[in-house]
Order: sequence, then C-alpha cells, then structure tokens
Amino acid sequence: MHVFLEQLINGLTIGSFYALIALGYSMVYGVLKLINFAHGDFFTLGSYLGYTVLVFGSAVITTHFGLWGGLILAMTVAAVSLALVGLIVERLAYRPVYAAGRLPAVVSALGASIVLQNAIMVIWGPRFQAYPSKLIPNVHLQFGDIHITLLQIIILVMSFILMGILYFIVQKTTFGAAIRATALDRETASLMGININKVIFFIFTLGPALGAITGIMVGMYYRQISFTMGWNYGLKAFTASVLGGIGNIPGAMLGGLILGVLEMLGGAYISAAWKDVFVFLILILVLIFRPTGILGEKLAEKV
Amino acid sequence: MKSIRLVMILGVFLSVFLISTSLCAADTVVIGLQGPITGPWAYEGQMAKQSCEIAAELINSKGGILGGKMVELRVVDDAGEPKTGALAAQKLVGQKDVVASISTYGSSVCEPASNIYEKFKKVNIGYGVTAVRLTQRDFNYFFRTCGRDDSQGRFFAEAVPKKFGAKRIAIMHDNTAFGKGLAEDTKRALQPMIDAGSVEIVDYVAITPGEKDFRVVLTNLREAKPDVWYFTGYYAEAALLVTQAREIGITCPFVGGNAAINDEFVKIAGIEVAKNCYMTNEPLPADLPYPEAKEFLDAYKAKFGDIPSSPWPIYAADALNIIAYAIDKSGSTDSSELAEFLRSQVDGVPGITGPIGFTEQGDREGVPFYLYVVDESGKIVVSK
Repeated sequence: MHVFLEQLINGLTIGSFYALIALGYSMVYGVLKLINFAHGDFFTLGSYLGYTVLVFGSAVITTHFGLWGGLILAMTVAAVSLALVGLIVERLAYRPVYAAGRLPAVVSALGASIVLQNAIMVIWGPRFQAYPSKLIPNVHLQFGDIHITLLQIIILVMSFILMGILYFIVQKTTFGAAIRATALDRETASLMGININKVIFFIFTLGPALGAITGIMVGMYYRQISFTMGWNYGLKAFTASVLGGIGNIPGAMLGGLILGVLEMLGGAYISAAWKDVFVFLILILVLIFRPTGILGEKLAEKV
Repeated sequence: MKSIRLVMILGVFLSVFLISTSLCAADTVVIGLQGPITGPWAYEGQMAKQSCEIAAELINSKGGILGGKMVELRVVDDAGEPKTGALAAQKLVGQKDVVASISTYGSSVCEPASNIYEKFKKVNIGYGVTAVRLTQRDFNYFFRTCGRDDSQGRFFAEAVPKKFGAKRIAIMHDNTAFGKGLAEDTKRALQPMIDAGSVEIVDYVAITPGEKDFRVVLTNLREAKPDVWYFTGYYAEAALLVTQAREIGITCPFVGGNAAINDEFVKIAGIEVAKNCYMTNEPLPADLPYPEAKEFLDAYKAKFGDIPSSPWPIYAADALNIIAYAIDKSGSTDSSELAEFLRSQVDGVPGITGPIGFTEQGDREGVPFYLYVVDESGKIVVSK
C-alpha cells in the first residue's frame, strides 16, 4: 500500500509538470489551431534562465533574498523573459504564416523549435547542467513507510495554485469568456467585438511563462537539465493535451495528471521498461473511442 | 619516357629506404607502435606514443636489451579507423626489421589489423582493446595488456560482496551494449557464489537512458532490500538514480561501473549525495602502487609536464616493456619464438600496471581493477 501511495504522489508530481506544459499547447491550439512545437523549448529555455539566475546570482541571493526569495526571483525572471520570447516567436515565426494555412505554421513551429534548441546549446553548452544543490530545499519527509520530499509537496501545491488561477481566468472572467469564444470560432468572435490580437497576446505570454516556471520546477526536482529535454516533455505534454481534449483548458490539466499517474503506476505494476508503451497505448485507445479526448466537446461539422 | 623516370625515382626512394632501415637494424631492435596518432582519439594515440617513448628510453638508459642493443620505436598512424588500421598493419609487417608491434586503441580498429599481423606471423599486443571476441579467434600472435569487457564484472564479484559483507545484490543496467554487457558479465561472475548460496541477486533491472524519473524502478529496488547496488550505465543517469534513491530512502552503498562516476557525476548529484559512492575502475596512472609505475610516471612527467590523463597509454608502455623483456630473455627476435615465450614463460613479470602474464588465448592474466570512492571533498580516490 505504501508503494502505491508513493507512486501516486510521484505520478502526480510529474503529472503536474505535464499538465502545466500541456496548458501552453492547449491554449495555443484552442485559439490558433496551431501545434506550437516550440513550446517544449520555451520550457527548456525557462529552466536554463532560472539556472543562470540561481548560479550566477547565488552570492547575492543567499545574502539578500534567502532560499525562497532566490527561487521566486529565478521564477519571476524566467517567466517574464519567456513571456517576451513567446511574443517574439509569435511575431517572427507564426504571424507571417497564419494566412498561409495550418501546414506552413506547423513547419514554422518546428523551425522555431530547432532554432531555440540550438541557441540554448550554443549559449549554455551541450553538456548537462546541474541546479546548485544548496539553493534548493532538500528535506526528506517520512510518514510511516512513505518517503516523499518537501520539494514534491511544494511542486504539487504550486502547480495546483497556478492551474487554479488559470482555470479561474479562463472559466470565470469576461476575458476568459473571450478566449473561449475565440477558441470556438475565431471569425464570429471577432465579429462580436472581441480583440483577437489581445487574446493571442495573452496566450503567447502566459503559456511560455507557465512553461518557464515548470522548467525551473523540473530543474529543482531532478537537478539536471539538458538542452534536448524540451522535446521529451513537449511530446508527453502534447499527448496529455490530446488525452484531455486539445483546446480544452481543464482537459489539459486532467490529461497531464492522468498521464503522469498512469506512467508511474504502469511502470510500477506492469513493467518500467514498457511504461511509455503503456502510456501511448492508452492514448491510442482514447483516440479510437473518444477522438476529441476525455473532456473534449463534440465539434459540430462546419458546413 | 615519363614512366621510366617515375620508376627510377621510386627505385631511388626504395633503395634509400632499404639502406636506412638495414643500417639501423645492426645495433637496434625495432618495435612498432600502431595507434590513433590523428583522428577522433588522437589524444589517446599521442599519449600512447609518448608513453612508449618513455618506456623505450628507460630500457635504453639501463643498457638496452640483448647485451647492449637499443630499443627503437617506429610509429604508424591508424587514425582510429578500421580501414586505415589494416593499412597501418600492412605497413609494419612489410618492414622486416620490425620485431613486434603494439597495436592498437579501439577494438574495431584492432580486429582487422590483428588479422594481418596473424597472417604475417608478427607478435602484436593490444593496449586499449577490451572486446571479449578479440581473443576468442584462436590467434597465435595476438596478445593484450589491458583487460576485457568482462574483467570488470569478475572484479565486482571478487571484491564488492566481500568489502560490504553483502548477501543481497541488486544489479541495474541501462540497456546499452556496454551497460547490459557489463551487467550480464557481473551476473555470470556471481553465479558460482549464487549456486553456493553465499549471495543472492534480489533485483536485476534495466532503465531507459535519457529518462529523468527513476522513482518507479527505485521503489521496487528499495522493496527488494539489497545490501549493495551496482549500476553499470553512464554518469548522467547514475547521478539522477543516486539522488532519487536517497530521497525515497534507499541507504545501501551504491557502486557504479567505470562509466558511472566522474567529476560531472559529483557536480550533478552534489557532494552530499555523491560522497561514499563507489565505482569499479581501471586504476588511473597516478594510483598505481608499483615501483615501476613511479619510475615511469616520474620520467613521463619530467619530459611531458604531466602524467597521462587516461588509463590506456600505460598499457601501451607495458606492451613495449613485455616485448623487450621477451626478446631479451628468449634471446630471439623471431615472432614465433616470441609468441611461444610470451604464452608460456611470461608469468608475473613486474610491469607498470602490475604483474604481467598471459593466458593461452593471449589475454592478460590478473588484470588490475580498483574500487574507487567519492571522498568528503568530492574527489574520486582509491577506496582503502
């Protein structure tokens, strides 16, 4: 039983990473019908920026801000920078090709991903970088036979707060209604007086910023980052958003959490080597029997 | 007309070449070195060349061999490529005064080269070639001073359970050819002890390289309650594994294979986690306790500024030493007699890397392996 609970917590932890990244995919897809392949690299870039703040500012941080202040500083810097990067990428790589249709946009997204990934490699080098262990809370907790770390709890709490805020914005505010309306039908929404550019601005700042914060959490959790890690997380997060129903915000959160838990439990009780096979098998089954994903609404055919 | 001139020029070159080599032959004994002097492993080849030069100088400064003949080194570059390796071997066997050859770094380069040495009946000693298959071809003239891929597994079985008083052993590999091979060799080496009931493999599992989360595998490992845990993969995963293992409450000693622990490992895992992690490794030059090693390394340092940074070049030096020893003691420069002598008469001859002896197949007997440990300051030192 203790193994099950531990794996559940581990699964929720990585699931919340997937969920936060999936949100970025899902928001962009919802509004632009574009699979933003560069999103995984936004996440990597955020992780590296946080790393840079923590490593190069370590003397200042430890004297002036303390452990928590340092982390908040790193997250703020990374989130703001990535919001800017997101806007720049949207302006340079996506906006010029919107009119050309969906396929050129996807190719452009792949190109942006390659550019970002290589830029990270050139700037920080191709080797693994390690988050400084002293600047990360490192407390092990034990309840009976269950071992978890304080960091896992922090990550879970933070992720749920972030997801809660986003859920509130999208589902309960007027602006959120505008986003959802744009996702449903862009042209009609703009006819109703919704400023589409404002919506695009919002999703291309918030998505990358969330990705950046996730990047720092992943860096803290595993302490090891590499310039290629965005691809793997991007793929899993994309899977998660499809699983939950792409374009659907609560669906992305749910999909991420389910994916993480499935991966851990499948690995624990079936076979660790086969866990990815297991995860993608579930994805295929969901797509066969419910093509719009778990929370995806049935789309009416446009005539 | 043109072709006649070409033949003449070639003829002049050839005669100059033949005269020069035959002149040298009078008072020197020539030993060939085939190594990657250029190419991706150039630093290995360069260090091997330097090591052999030092070894030859040391022999010559003590009066040479065969009653006063000097040892001469002749270097041929194989660029670390199998094809060039075969050509390099051709070049060396074509020179009649080359008695034997030290060849080479890299198993895939050595394989075609040693075919040629075998065909032309020339003793050749590999110094950085660890593939098991090389000595399973019933060759007469091939030897190696370095270990095989499976010597590490055997070392683990001999040393580790005894050191930790461990009965329950967990083995983890990363599904790469190297990692899986080492894990299987280790299991095979442990088999007699398993049959005797003195140890037990409680977990034998593979991880996927490139992954970041190993908590699933590690939780199973923890439930298996091992006394010691051997990981045969690379440092990037090793650092994550140990960090996560300590987080979920695995306290047993961690032993890594020779690719698992290095300075990067310590950096990623952090000293708190990395300290007291062990690894099985070829002895680094600086850690060799033998007087021959000290003499060699002092001379090397005096000439080149620093000692070799990799374990392999000193095996090349030892290959030269053992060839010189065999020529001197057998009094012959005939390769067939030398091969016979190396196989039957060489046993426990002191070398830089410890006592040297060869098996019937040409493998080194008693290959040295050490248990290293990360100390309190994050340095990797020999475990006492």
